[in-house]
Amino acid sequence: MKWWMRPLVRLIAAILLPLVVPALITGALWALPGDPASIICPPETCDGTEALAERFNLHRGPVFFYMQWLLAAMSLDFGRSWTLMAGTPVYEEMVSAVPMTGALVVLALVPLLTGTVTAALGWLPRFLDGIWQFFGLIPAVILALFAAAYVEISFGVTFGDWRPTAWRLVLGALVLALADGTLAGAIVGTRSVFEEEVKQRYIQVAILRGESTLSNAIPNVLPGLIGQMRGRLLTVLSGAVVVEVILKIPGLGGLLWDGTLSQDYGIVLAAAFAFSAFSGALMFVQAIAEIAIALYVRRSPAGVGEST
Amino acid sequence: MRARRERRWPYGVAAALLLLVLIVAGLSAPEFVSSPTALSGQAVGPFASPPFGTDERGIPLYEYALQGARIVAFPAAVAGAVVMMLATLAGLVRCGNLPWLDTGLQAAGEIVGALPRMVVVLVVALLLGYDQKGLLPIAVVWALLAAPAAMDEAAASAGRLGGTRFVEALRAHGFSAFRTYFIHVVWKNLRPVIVRQGAEVMMQVVFLEIALSYLALQRSTQSFTHTENLYSWATLLYQGYSWMLFVFQPIVKVAAGESEWAVWADAVWVNMTTSELDGPGVQSVLVGFVLVASVAATAQLARAAARAR
Repeated sequence: MKWWMRPLVRLIAAILLPLVVPALITGALWALPGDPASIICPPETCDGTEALAERFNLHRGPVFFYMQWLLAAMSLDFGRSWTLMAGTPVYEEMVSAVPMTGALVVLALVPLLTGTVTAALGWLPRFLDGIWQFFGLIPAVILALFAAAYVEISFGVTFGDWRPTAWRLVLGALVLALADGTLAGAIVGTRSVFEEEVKQRYIQVAILRGESTLSNAIPNVLPGLIGQMRGRLLTVLSGAVVVEVILKIPGLGGLLWDGTLSQDYGIVLAAAFAFSAFSGALMFVQAIAEIAIALYVRRSPAGVGEST
Repeated sequence: MRARRERRWPYGVAAALLLLVLIVAGLSAPEFVSSPTALSGQAVGPFASPPFGTDERGIPLYEYALQGARIVAFPAAVAGAVVMMLATLAGLVRCGNLPWLDTGLQAAGEIVGALPRMVVVLVVALLLGYDQKGLLPIAVVWALLAAPAAMDEAAASAGRLGGTRFVEALRAHGFSAFRTYFIHVVWKNLRPVIVRQGAEVMMQVVFLEIALSYLALQRSTQSFTHTENLYSWATLLYQGYSWMLFVFQPIVKVAAGESEWAVWADAVWVNMTTSELDGPGVQSVLVGFVLVASVAATAQLARAAARAR
């Protein structure tokens, strides 16, 4: 396979992902038995199903609904909640939820990046691997319930106090980083990648020439490391749903969960779109980084090819 | 060589035994748990009501454990099998002379692997009808989402063997296609990757079920993963969470004036030895932890048993 094929597939997937996921949800909604409008307004309990169907663009089939939804989403109009907060613009919920999830993910990145860098530099002793791997075996739900119990016991029901929210975010980020082998994989995986690379002959020649191991190895291992980090971020995003609900963090994951329980397709479409857009962005960054690194590695050094 | 092979079989036996216990527990689970008997909301410790005690409604905890096993055993096994089959396919394709299929699998894997799994699982759960509630469709979806990573690793392992050249060399020795592909490629070389990925996905499906059921309990609603007559292992963890809040009520700490560890130790001892207690008991969370630990241990033992020589 040519070197550019994988990055190209990733670029295409990154662009299509936020478009395809809402399309699949829309298709599945119409594939369900019954009229989608009856979810909002069941005919047996409520009048005006047809009017509501027209208001929510459900009266002209899935393609019309999807195109209208997509066009509106381009201007950040995600429609209105169907059942959970009936009639409320979904954008208002997203505006408060996305920063919380973003903060959770960014905080979770701190231990992950720290572990990756220190493992690459060889600063983390191997005997600690057992600790990361032990915590990695514990599912996020168990670590999260301990964290939630700690916050409830320490602060109880308090109003106007920023500390419970801060603790929830910090503990939630720690749970996301530790659980499901995320941090263990970041440390052990990075270390093994560098250890394998250091065995290569070009590295040994570079050492003989007095050059740094890292500066020679990084261009070659970076694509793999970026791919691993993307996978870990996807795991963190996935776990955010569990952590936000248990720790009562009002984020995108909790919104998606509540929307799913209430069969609120307005909320689910918007939340799924946001998650897939973020995944697409990660994939886009990885593809660009791979292309840039491949072009850098394949460049001719200065003076090569010039006639003498 | 013989000494190395003997060191691995205890892990395999242990993993198989744990898996068998899970399956037997699932098959022997009652259709409905016992009717609540403790109207005063008092749990009973394991010494008073062996083997695990009861919750505050008087329902034996072992019934929760059996029903939880029933919910997860078959879907987790199916999910593990799906991943193992797809990983085997990817490894065989890498060794076979099928570059177009290899490229197609990699491209499909890239796209599927980019989806955040929990989002897809929740969308699938949303689409399940009331009478279709169950873990199996969610487990299969999870397995399909986890398959790209397994397929990548299996294909990479097959590639390190030499791919088609390895197959050609074995065929030149006169080995049949079956022996070449399924004995030398899959059994002798891809087995560690395939078994490890399958065991990890099985473990993930069990943990996913616990997570989804716990979230549903937190919202006081019915879970997507099982029908109303069944109780997940998440029920034990939720009872344990209630116990932790109960034991550490501020008034208990203030009145006792003791250290937190002393309060914990006293609460655990009282739970285990007295016949009736106010509120939930510690045994729920301990049983829940043991069940989760046994699932994790099964996956790790299977991984150890299948590791390469």
